[in-house]
Amino acid sequence: MPAIQWWCFAQQEAWSWTWRPLLGVWIVIALLAWAYRRLLAGLALGNEPEPVRRWRNVSFASALFLLWASLDWPLGPLGASYLASVHMIQFLAVGVASPALLLLALPRAAFDVLPRWPAVLGVIEAVTQPLAAFFIFNIAMTVSHWPGVVDMLMPTQAGSFLIDLIWFTAGLVFWWPLIAPVPNRAGFHPLGKIAYMALNAFLIHPPFAMMIFSEHPIYLIYELAPPVGKDPLHDQQLAAAIMKIGLAWIMFVAVIVVFQRWRRSDAAGA
Amino acid sequence: MSRFETHRRELLGPIHRFACLAVLVVLGCGVPADGGRLGELRGTPMHVPIPKPHLVFTDTEGRRFDLRAQTEGYLTLVFFGYTHCPDVCPIQMATLGAAFRELSPELRSRIKVVFVSTDPERDTPERLRKWLDAYDGTFVGLRGPIEEINEALSSMMLPGIAMLPGGSHDEPLIGHPAAVLAFDADGLARIRYGFGVRRSDWSHDLPLLASP
Repeated sequence: MPAIQWWCFAQQEAWSWTWRPLLGVWIVIALLAWAYRRLLAGLALGNEPEPVRRWRNVSFASALFLLWASLDWPLGPLGASYLASVHMIQFLAVGVASPALLLLALPRAAFDVLPRWPAVLGVIEAVTQPLAAFFIFNIAMTVSHWPGVVDMLMPTQAGSFLIDLIWFTAGLVFWWPLIAPVPNRAGFHPLGKIAYMALNAFLIHPPFAMMIFSEHPIYLIYELAPPVGKDPLHDQQLAAAIMKIGLAWIMFVAVIVVFQRWRRSDAAGA
Repeated sequence: MSRFETHRRELLGPIHRFACLAVLVVLGCGVPADGGRLGELRGTPMHVPIPKPHLVFTDTEGRRFDLRAQTEGYLTLVFFGYTHCPDVCPIQMATLGAAFRELSPELRSRIKVVFVSTDPERDTPERLRKWLDAYDGTFVGLRGPIEEINEALSSMMLPGIAMLPGGSHDEPLIGHPAAVLAFDADGLARIRYGFGVRRSDWSHDLPLLASP
């Protein structure tokens, strides 16, 4: 029986295709599923249309699947210890795609209860103000990919967990002003939303520039990991491409969705 | 010691070297005999230069290879390891190989990289050649009796080979020195590169070491 770990982290063992359990990942996934079920049970959703309910379920299941697939074996250990490119796929899943899907999976009634806790709502209002959210996401993205930070945090389970937590929280903050109806941001025009996302797609983050332009591997943990058949420098450049192209594609899809909704609402208004 | 701890030690190296140099200057010992070049390098300086060992082994083509005679006048980087090694050997060779390929052909022609197998039974000439070719086709692979390898390691004040039980696939693991020794053209090693040395370190040091 392989040793049970809480979270994947950078190790110096040679890579093996032997399955290993990551208990923390399962617990987090189970807790999210339980919390979502409890939340829905406490809301009056009896008159919710069937297509809306189905879409919510698909969205939530997709978010959970992305989280589980990117954090559990084999992608979890591969990304934590051996390949920067897999680490970047994890970032896109944990820090970009799954927070958006989770927010989309929440019914309107779930947001409507927020004003019951003014302190919580106050914090949410402050951090999800579009400009603040933009900076929080991009600073978190830059810091969590900074070579010194990655090399310092990834060799421990707690550090690796912290990076994933930062990604996920920053992702929620980023998507909140675009998806969540509370607080009401009527002034955030669809054109502003499109600009908000487009800017993220085209922004050159310092870690991306370092990864793509550096002549040498910048991450110690991936450079000095037991090799899994890929040159660390090429792997790093692939990671940069995944970061940029992956983020751009997700933003592109989101821009199209916002644009279509805007067009439909304009048509309905007319 | 983990590879991260090793690297931390490498990072502490310059501070340590500076402290040692300060003590030497205070004691009136002056600058090192190599004119201070060691201070610029990122490897670990050896306080006592080590002469190149006398090894006459067989290369991957089955030819006799006299280490001293056939590397005379070259910067010679010598590493003892084995191709089934799961971590240290492939990482050291990949890091060195990548930096080596970045050098100009002229600099490369002044350097010989010699990999001495510590597992001559499993490291057949074909396997050794194929393994080295993945890093660089010019790297020399040598095979010889374990006793002679241990003698050479001992002469270089390095620990000998140790058979360790159980790898991931029940293959024996072999304990061996993790450092690459850099022998100058005069046949003396004044610096070594332990596990944790990075491609950027090699890229920085190789031109300095190989320059006439």
